[in-house]
Amino acid sequence: MNVIETRNLHKHFGDLHVLKGVDIAVAEGEVVVIIGPSGSGKSTLLRCLNFLEMPDEGSEVLLDGEVIDPARDNLDKVREKMGMVFQHFHLFPHKNVIDNITIAPENVKGVPRKQAKATARELLEKVGLPDKEKAWPSQLSGGQKQRVAIARALAMDPEIMLFDEVTSALDPELVAEVLQVVQDLAAAGMTMVMVTHEMGFAREVADRVIMMDDGIIIEQATPDRFFGSPAEERTRTFLGQVLHA
Amino acid sequence: MFESIWVVLDMHFLGFLKATGMTLRLTAVSLALAVVIGLVFAFLKLSRNPIGNLLANAYIGVVRGTPLIVLLMFLYFGISEIVVLSSFWAGSLALAIHAGAYVAEIFRGTIQSIDHGQHEAARSLGMSRRLSMRLIILPQAFRRAIPPLGNQFIIGLKDSSLVAFLGVSELYSRAMTAAAANFRPFETYLVAGLYYLVLVLIFTWLVNQLELRLTPDRRAAA
Repeated sequence: MNVIETRNLHKHFGDLHVLKGVDIAVAEGEVVVIIGPSGSGKSTLLRCLNFLEMPDEGSEVLLDGEVIDPARDNLDKVREKMGMVFQHFHLFPHKNVIDNITIAPENVKGVPRKQAKATARELLEKVGLPDKEKAWPSQLSGGQKQRVAIARALAMDPEIMLFDEVTSALDPELVAEVLQVVQDLAAAGMTMVMVTHEMGFAREVADRVIMMDDGIIIEQATPDRFFGSPAEERTRTFLGQVLHA
Repeated sequence: MFESIWVVLDMHFLGFLKATGMTLRLTAVSLALAVVIGLVFAFLKLSRNPIGNLLANAYIGVVRGTPLIVLLMFLYFGISEIVVLSSFWAGSLALAIHAGAYVAEIFRGTIQSIDHGQHEAARSLGMSRRLSMRLIILPQAFRRAIPPLGNQFIIGLKDSSLVAFLGVSELYSRAMTAAAANFRPFETYLVAGLYYLVLVLIFTWLVNQLELRLTPDRRAAA
């Protein structure tokens, strides 16, 4: 069963046609990595999945096989089921680490404080930051911030995780610690869609790699096929550029 | 001259202190109201409702475009034709309506200054627009608003002296009366100025304490 699916997904920003009919389907436990040049629409696609951007009329996004209708469905409830991690972390600077993680479960789901804290501590353990629960975001390195952001998203117990270039704003030496957490999640069976420029990681962790350019899917394949013998010229050009850079 | 300052201080110390109490009452009431008014109009200005926008822009435009003394007189003499308003309440209301416009702009500015990513992160966690505003945006906006609000409050404290012209016996009004009676206007107003200065210094210190208290993250990082 597909956790998330899009049918004929279009998105305009004014006159700019960013997504031109994208169909993807992500099965339970699947790890899908989306790559492509900047401006290809990959981040917009991710943001349409949880309706941070409103898809154009006529587009369909399905969660657990049900079409989401923004006019009828409560999108807050929809977003609860999808965790998202951003390039620039967006931790809440006025809350310490543990409160960053507990604030949504407590206030959105009504989880009792004690229980929310216990879950948060487990998650901090999982992302390798058990000693940071009282720290403030401003005291953390980029890699630590991003791991807290992942814990914060996981605290809502989502069905799927969306990662939007989560290592792009990090110093190179901090990338590995974040990717390790993502890899652990994948190994634990979490369904995820990830926009990234980390080709090595895509090759190692993805079940499927999708190449996007100019608002459409150019090709998608298993990492071996995708990186070993890409079918499309545009993929080959792109891979040539990023792999030999 | 310095002896005569002591003479004036000696003569009016307690009287001025009592009048200072009235100044503080005027300031406290008007600024508390101004914060409420400011918040409401900041939200109206930020809302997507065109009528709300229009209302907020009209209010802010009119208040910023007219002198406080005109508003004071207008409220005292104009409105009291319809409702009976004590000079204290007419003064407090005028000060509140005046400061409210500036406070509205302060809140609008600081709310808008919060990175949109904060709101997106909150929404991505399932928070509604309201919840995100209440738990994520407003607490951060309030912190940022403290320095300009403190500034506005100091202006409000000093503006309260204009209420003297409605016959409220606050600090400035007491100074006017005293100067007329003791024939030492220079020393008397100097002393009144010192009272205001001390009030503002105390107030500045309080604002700084509040800012420190509300930013535990910055304290920890320092």
